[in-house]
Amino acid sequence: MVDNNNFALKTNNVYVHYGNKMAINNVALDFPKNEVTSLIGPSGCGKSTFLRCLNRMNDVIDSCKVEGSFIMNNTIDIYRDDLPIENLREKIGMVFQKPNPFPKSIYENVAYGPKIHGVTSSQSELDDLVKESLHRAGLYDEVKDRLTDVATGLSGGQQQRLCIARAISIKPEIILMDEPCSALDPIATAKIEDLINELKENYTIIIVTHSMSQASRVSTKTAFFHLGNLIEEGDTSKIFTKPDKEQTNDYITGRFG
Amino acid sequence: MVYFALLLLFIVSYSFYYFGKNRALKIKFTGDQKLASLPDYYGYFLVLVVFLPSLIIWFILLLYKSNFQELYVMSPTLFPDIAQWSDAKFGLIMNKISNLALIVNIPEADLLKGQTSLLNMSSESELIAAKNLASFDSIYGWSIVIVFILLPVILGLSISRLINQKLNVQPIVEKIIINIIRFSSIVAILVTFGIFFSLIFEAIKFFQYVNFADFFFNTAWNPNRAWVISSGETVDPEILKDAFGWVPLLTGTLLVGSVAMFVAIPLGLASAIYLAEYASSKVRDIAKPIIEILAGIPTVVYGFFAALTLAPILKNFGDSIGIDISAESALAAGLAMGVMIIPFVSSLSDDVIRSVPNSLRDGSYALGATKSETIKKVVLPAALPGIMGSFLLAVSRAIGETMIVVMAASLRANLTFNPLEPATTITTQIVTALIGDVEFENPKTLVAFALGLSLFVMTLILNIIAITIVRKYREKYE
Ligand SMILES: Nc1ncnc2c1ncn2[C@@H]1O[C@H](COP(=O)(O)OP(=O)(O)OP(=O)(O)O)[C@@H](O)[C@H]1O
Ligand SMILES: [Mg+2]
Repeated sequence: MVDNNNFALKTNNVYVHYGNKMAINNVALDFPKNEVTSLIGPSGCGKSTFLRCLNRMNDVIDSCKVEGSFIMNNTIDIYRDDLPIENLREKIGMVFQKPNPFPKSIYENVAYGPKIHGVTSSQSELDDLVKESLHRAGLYDEVKDRLTDVATGLSGGQQQRLCIARAISIKPEIILMDEPCSALDPIATAKIEDLINELKENYTIIIVTHSMSQASRVSTKTAFFHLGNLIEEGDTSKIFTKPDKEQTNDYITGRFG
Repeated sequence: MVYFALLLLFIVSYSFYYFGKNRALKIKFTGDQKLASLPDYYGYFLVLVVFLPSLIIWFILLLYKSNFQELYVMSPTLFPDIAQWSDAKFGLIMNKISNLALIVNIPEADLLKGQTSLLNMSSESELIAAKNLASFDSIYGWSIVIVFILLPVILGLSISRLINQKLNVQPIVEKIIINIIRFSSIVAILVTFGIFFSLIFEAIKFFQYVNFADFFFNTAWNPNRAWVISSGETVDPEILKDAFGWVPLLTGTLLVGSVAMFVAIPLGLASAIYLAEYASSKVRDIAKPIIEILAGIPTVVYGFFAALTLAPILKNFGDSIGIDISAESALAAGLAMGVMIIPFVSSLSDDVIRSVPNSLRDGSYALGATKSETIKKVVLPAALPGIMGSFLLAVSRAIGETMIVVMAASLRANLTFNPLEPATTITTQIVTALIGDVEFENPKTLVAFALGLSLFVMTLILNIIAITIVRKYREKYE
């Protein structure tokens, strides 16, 4: 498969508790660079919880306790005390289940991240960056005449692509996506999937999905979770054709979940 | 007596609920047809049938009590020439009879001297009329008993005989109830319009004395010039030209209001942000009601706090640094008012800030923004319309506020934008206009209605804008 140094993120011994309730139980999972990994499993098995550990979004939830090792690019422990959480999230972006554009203009939505991190030094540089991000998210042609319109007026699919443009505007290395298509129709979904296939050239993508067909279309690696445990992981083609574990087989053939 | 009867009416009506319901339940069904309405509705039906007519008749009795009294007492058999009496004479005699009625049944030995002579001075028919009047109250009382007890019982019993399996009362009951509800809301609306129109009519009277332009654009406010006018007299508007210019009142109102907003906006907004974004839910649950108490303190308390505590402190402080601060400064009144309206800003803003969806905050955090950046750049802009709405509501509360400024602000109209000087407000002048000892038809009194109308329109517009903004904002996220 991939050689050992080519992982964007490696996790080991991950436990997550909400209060006394265990949500993730001893998970170890590595994410190959510039590939798409999908996390599948029945509802409530901890996919979102695990995903949110990877950019420390769980830190906002008081009751949530995260343990384990999370090593980025073989060197950086992302839970290290002296690593500012803002810098981490600059490197690991996220797209949410429900499109959540800010109630600002389309332009301002994309320019938000670059402005905060000061990645551009001039207005024209920022303009170019916004344009480029929208381009890569496949949205530019649809919105180029109305960049100053408020973003909440876009369709759901356009909003989600705007959120992707917003995420890539600060040039992260990893993009986390939590069921990015679950609020979209098949056409908008197909567009996002095409986009994911293009984006993986430059980014490592980790996607949570409930759709087996989506997982098999976009990802090269798949991990199956059940009740907080990582049951099986491996090449997507293998997981969906001849999984090692019976539970995995039951799930992908639709016998539970 | 009346209240006792009213209580009885409630009891009677209530028992008819069970009566009607039981009656419906006891019906022997013929064929396979069931009751036309649910059993409860037969109960409601009887209650309405029993309760409403009595209530309506009672209102009529109450409303026309004095008319019935006169009809009963001043009969043409006693006073044959009554048709020719003038209103004044009628009133005079009625008055005399009312006085007589108080003493006519007292034994002669217990009467005072004046009362005996009143009896002796009265004609035979006046004495009879007085006796009739004395008996009227008991007749009136009995008629109420009849209306409240006999009528309902008779109505209830006779109508309950109509109840049978085919009588569908449900639409009737619902129609009556809908109409009662409709009537109530119409009353509320009518009252609002009534207030508005009574303001307009009185204001029109005022503008017969004073030019429109003199009122709205003149900067001199000397209502005492109107002392000279007696009611009904037509006067040269020139005399009143510099008497009723409302400009200094408007600026005074705006000045005090601005000071208040200067206090309320920063403090209110800061506490809203703290409550919504930083406070733990435990702190919030305790702090929010406490802040809201500020709005519940009687305004008169703020008034004497401003006049007796704040004003002297400000004055002393001014003296110590060599600034002259008036004892009745707009500053003292505005500060107290500002404290009072903090909760209008903080509570409403807290609600709108919290109603900004968490997904927006998450979106910002996920882009590597800090909490304060998220609040500044995402949460507050998203909540801005609602926050503006809370400001406007607070302003309209501030400019309509009366008690604080009556106690702490000046009475002297002073066209100034310096909060350290005395200033008066529209509401203060309304109060002084109405408590003066001038007759009602004098422009000095009538000006209260012109001022009230202007204030009403001002706050109405502010409220409409505020409510529209807040509503628009709510729609966006719901
Ligand atoms: N904020 C929270 N507080 C307490 N428990 C939580 C919280 N968020 C999630 N959980 C619990 O953790 C477990 C895993 O939830 P998670 O949201 O990760 O599931 P999921 O696999 O993403 O499910 P879905 O497919 O429905 O999104 C669930 O049992 C859930 O109830
Ligand atoms: Mg989830």
